[in-house]
Amino acid sequence: MQKNQFPIFEKLKTWARVNSPWAIHFNSGSCNGCDIEILATLTPRYDLERFGVKLQGSPRHADILICTGPVTRQARERLIRTYEQMPEPRFVVAVGSCALSAGVFQNCYNVVGSIDEVIPVDAFIPGCPPRPEAIIDGLVKLLQSLQTAPGTENQDQVSVEKSLSRPASSLMRIE
Amino acid sequence: MNTLTSLEQAEKILAPWTKEAARPEPNRLDIIISGDDVFACTAALKQESWGYLSAITGLDLGPDAGALEALYHFCQGAAITTLRARLPRQGGSLPTLYPLYPVSSFFERELSEMFGITVINTPDSNRLFLPDDWPVGVFPMLKEFDPKVEQPRMETSSQTFPSQDGQKFYVPIGPQHPALKEPGHFEFTVDGEVITEARMRLGYVHRGIEKAVEGQNWVQNLYLLERVCGICSHTHATAYVMGVERLAGVEAPLRAQAIREVIAGLERIHSHLLWLGVSAHEAGFDTLFMYSWRDRETVMDILEALSGNRVNYSANIIGGVKFDIYPEQAATIRTGLEYLEERIRHYLDIVTSDTLFLQRTRGVGQINREEATHLGLLGPTARASGVLRDVRVEAPYGPYTRYPVSIVTSEAGDLEARFIVRLKELFVTINAIRTILDNLPESEMSVRVPRRIPAGETISRVEAPRGEAFYFIKSNGSDKPERIKIRTPSLCNWTAVLSKAPGSQLADAPLLIAGMDPCFSCNDRMITVKRLEHS
Repeated sequence: MQKNQFPIFEKLKTWARVNSPWAIHFNSGSCNGCDIEILATLTPRYDLERFGVKLQGSPRHADILICTGPVTRQARERLIRTYEQMPEPRFVVAVGSCALSAGVFQNCYNVVGSIDEVIPVDAFIPGCPPRPEAIIDGLVKLLQSLQTAPGTENQDQVSVEKSLSRPASSLMRIE
Repeated sequence: MNTLTSLEQAEKILAPWTKEAARPEPNRLDIIISGDDVFACTAALKQESWGYLSAITGLDLGPDAGALEALYHFCQGAAITTLRARLPRQGGSLPTLYPLYPVSSFFERELSEMFGITVINTPDSNRLFLPDDWPVGVFPMLKEFDPKVEQPRMETSSQTFPSQDGQKFYVPIGPQHPALKEPGHFEFTVDGEVITEARMRLGYVHRGIEKAVEGQNWVQNLYLLERVCGICSHTHATAYVMGVERLAGVEAPLRAQAIREVIAGLERIHSHLLWLGVSAHEAGFDTLFMYSWRDRETVMDILEALSGNRVNYSANIIGGVKFDIYPEQAATIRTGLEYLEERIRHYLDIVTSDTLFLQRTRGVGQINREEATHLGLLGPTARASGVLRDVRVEAPYGPYTRYPVSIVTSEAGDLEARFIVRLKELFVTINAIRTILDNLPESEMSVRVPRRIPAGETISRVEAPRGEAFYFIKSNGSDKPERIKIRTPSLCNWTAVLSKAPGSQLADAPLLIAGMDPCFSCNDRMITVKRLEHS
């Protein structure tokens, strides 16, 4: 079916996607700091579920991949596999300094780099670790951007292979 | 038994194998032995029940010296005996200590992968902690290894555990799995609902911190080591600064020491409440998860008010602490603790009376005292089996020398006991924080420490929320450390899961794993485990 052939369906899909995004959390080498803050975001004080965001287990049910930590060599392949198992359109949120730039772990031999060197990232939330409010803000901004740009063409087309062929980010290996 | 008599006793036990003995610090004994005698020495120490194997450190003395050293650290109370075996840089070998201390297989695998030392008769010599695609024959902890050079990716089979036959039914769990909050891979062989064999592979969070510290100066490392683990970040920083201060020959002012322990106490409360929630979640008791995490926010607020950050408080500097605790803040802490005390009493009531929850915990994963000692368990997991193991009591440091804490144990050894011990420990912690706050000494916040730390070696042990954190720090007199070895409690406690999983119900596996409060990022700072054989 061509897009926009039935605009009402597109609208309906966007409405559903924005109001009940399901998220999956992947730790690719984090120190746990960000992970516990993501978990704290779901608990009563911050209650991310009021935005319809639900954390659940299977990548096949998920719309949003929340990544924490730098990518280690061993986790790299699993991160790509998890990303590829997600149905399209899929969105990636990188949480924390390490996910953005490998952070303090830049000089570690087993660290490949930031998340966006391995898979395409839609939203970056900086901080070591980011406060739960910052994580909520990042996710809400992502949801808002979906509302204004339905269809999310650029997401569908960025393949993992393409992103991997990019030169390594200048953030890595600063000599 | 005091430290001196302990050390004298160890010296006597080890006399037949001793080549040279030294007392580098008042609480430490270094015995130089031949590599072949390691097993005999350990057996002798074990027979006399002298301490427990705390860690094995590998040390590269550099291409000029042309030798490696393996350091076996045994702890009894505050006394530490180190067996030092010197090996050639290539082709060195050591006997395994697996029959005496099963936990040693973890340490030995680290030696063989990081330094290229062959361990003879080890139950498993497969690749342990480096990624599957790591090139053979590259040993990252050797001095000539440059962490900035990217290693080529080698061809690997995608299966983490290749040796499977078609006859058995395997249930893989992880690295991405709803029951695990952190990446680890477990493989359970099942017969119906019952687990018959358990294997695990860690290393998904292995970053290579121990190598990275060698390339940075002492101050930079403080921030890196704080991020070994985001849950007990303060513990790691404290262990590190305490060691560095000892090497530099300075002592943090009394007020700084007291503030460190207030933060450590608050960290213990946040960590245990976090664990209570996660474990309840694994048992399907999400209400308890939500409530305990709601109450945990009280501690997070206090920590934020004190330090400005919720996680990674960065309270320590080498020589002291960064911030003071003012009387108004102390009052806020007391109010928070009062509320928490009441809530924790409520949680204790729930985990000991809720029938459904008790069916998941009572009598599950039982470990008796002998097993716990043999497996080398640490922290609350050991204390729930009646083993009196707590660095704050055995080798008091900081304010614990003036205000001793009591030790909470249980004889039951099952999951329920681990819940009870951890929660009761919180009352002790709350009281300890109150005592320290009531008696905050007046002094400076920090002392000056030189950029270059005098050459020497030291061992720093701190009781983390999960058990004993062990730091071996060696300085060569420059502004960068020569070697820092970190052994975290979770690593030792894995033996509890792997030895108790066979025979358990598959449905109990997540709770068994959560029950020992594993911290993957702590483990993986340097080591991972692929497989553990079961007797």
